Amino acid sequence: MNTEHLEKIERSIQNMKEKKSRIYFFAQDTKGNAKASVRLIYQMAYSLKTKGYNSIILHEKPDYFGVSSWLDEKFMNDLEHMAVEGTNLEVAPEDFIVIPEIYGFLMDQITKLPCGKVVLCQAYDHIFETLQPGETWPSLGFFKCITTSEKQKDYIESVMRNVSIDVINPVISEVFVKNEFPPKTIISVHSREQRDTVNLIKTFYTKFPQYRWITFRDMRGLTEEEFANGMKDSFLSVWIDDRSGFGTFPLESMKMNIPVIGLAPNLVPEWMTEDNGIWINNVNTIVDVVADFVQNWLEDNVNSELYTEIQKTAEKYSDYEKFENDVTNLFDKFINTRLESFEEQLNKFQTTE
Amino acid sequence: MKKETKISVVLPIKSGKSPFFDDYFNKAITSVKNQGEYVDELIIVHTDETFLVNHLSSYDFEKLNVVLEPWTEDPSFANQVNRGVDLSKSEWVSLLEFDDEYSNIWFKNVTNYIDIYQDTDVFLPVVVDVDDKGVFVGFTNEATFAANFSQEMGVLTNETLLSYQNFQISGMVFKKEVFNKYGAIKASVKLTFGYELLLRLTYNSVDFMTIPKIGYKHTNLREGSIFWNYKNGSDRLSEDEVRFWIDTAKKEYFFTQDRNIKYEPQEV
Repeated sequence: MNTEHLEKIERSIQNMKEKKSRIYFFAQDTKGNAKASVRLIYQMAYSLKTKGYNSIILHEKPDYFGVSSWLDEKFMNDLEHMAVEGTNLEVAPEDFIVIPEIYGFLMDQITKLPCGKVVLCQAYDHIFETLQPGETWPSLGFFKCITTSEKQKDYIESVMRNVSIDVINPVISEVFVKNEFPPKTIISVHSREQRDTVNLIKTFYTKFPQYRWITFRDMRGLTEEEFANGMKDSFLSVWIDDRSGFGTFPLESMKMNIPVIGLAPNLVPEWMTEDNGIWINNVNTIVDVVADFVQNWLEDNVNSELYTEIQKTAEKYSDYEKFENDVTNLFDKFINTRLESFEEQLNKFQTTE
Repeated sequence: MKKETKISVVLPIKSGKSPFFDDYFNKAITSVKNQGEYVDELIIVHTDETFLVNHLSSYDFEKLNVVLEPWTEDPSFANQVNRGVDLSKSEWVSLLEFDDEYSNIWFKNVTNYIDIYQDTDVFLPVVVDVDDKGVFVGFTNEATFAANFSQEMGVLTNETLLSYQNFQISGMVFKKEVFNKYGAIKASVKLTFGYELLLRLTYNSVDFMTIPKIGYKHTNLREGSIFWNYKNGSDRLSEDEVRFWIDTAKKEYFFTQDRNIKYEPQEV
């Protein structure tokens, strides 16, 4: 090992100690549409930034739309952004790159980079979407994974061996607050596929024409503020996403004190209990359950326990300080592990000398 | 601190000889009792029909504060209601028909909304209409929530009323002050007296809101009822007269006073 190499290791150690090592978070360009998974990436990067770490948002192209149109401007203003394309991306051994699970091709491209590599897996059903058959994260040099629930962790462990997995529970944004006014006759709907929302609305109006005055709101493609404003007047949320990995929408609803009727996802999230929502297994029965709820709500017959339970559940995912600490502690752990390894190398070298 | 709101209920009765009167009346009174602490008084403005007078004087209203007010002139829904409103002691008044019922949650919701929406003068319930066998027919007053109907969801405006008439005044809770200020119900207007009242109040900037809760059950076209009589009974209206009263409502609401409108059949 030559002096230059020694100096590099020392510099890396110094950078890590001084929190100067770069933590890149790769974010999808949603072209101005709100997306919970992208919000989490920004929240994580921002948490680290506020604790003095050098976190940077990486995006694919230079004409990145940004998130100002649907997220608080602080995320765009305070976080450094860099495009992968057309930029001489500097990546040192002490740096980290965090890549969402969907970007298998990107993992493939950066296999040889000497930095720390982490997969951020929020949607378990995307894991294999862009990986070649037989390809795994470790085969691409990714041995660390952050996911959002214990259930997803169990699933990932079962399909992706030799990866250490940590869980960071998302935090529900502070824009979601309980409305001080009584709700109106609005049902907010969020589905993975738009056709599921359309189908629900058409079936409901056909089957229950007496409730044609109940308004449905499709909550897709809105800014965070529009989303929160649109939802605040609702008396019910309907959630149809059987492949969800966590379930941000129902938690946002609960935080606004809006009960949720949902299709229980294939991977039932740990926050879901029999008392904090109306969880059903058959998508075809949703309209009947919604109609029952409408009737009960119009008659003030909804069990008050439901409202108590949704508040309790939402509270668990509303502690931003805890989220910040969890993120910081996790990256501290990543950095310290890498730091120890670098110091070990340095000691070996110095001993040999 | 939350203001304690109490509501006076006005119940006009023309006759107790209608089929199933006892049954209907019992249910209506029970529904008033079920409003509990929110009821100030029940004012029954009744004709001097002997059967009815005897029935009311011997009826056990339990703890309800009941005022029995005889009406000795010609029976008139409008005049009897107006008299009851005049007698009421509360700031807020509601209309009840003897063949209808409040839902148990109605006054509780109204008082909650009064507390929140302090500029609103009239609160309408979502009404469940049933036929005389109790079978569900449809909702009334719910249209203020329909998409692209009102400018503001739940709010009833004059403009909305001019394009859609299906709203009703029974079960509504209103400020006595605005009801009297803008002329109460016009006794000379047949069929559309409720519609005309709503048009007149909204025209005079009285704020209306429908509470999205089922607050009232209304029996539609019960034999012997005022609207049944317009359709099938002694007061049966011709198609021409129906049109006349609808047009009248749309013209008369500009005037606060009852101008004693009369229908003159068109000569053929």
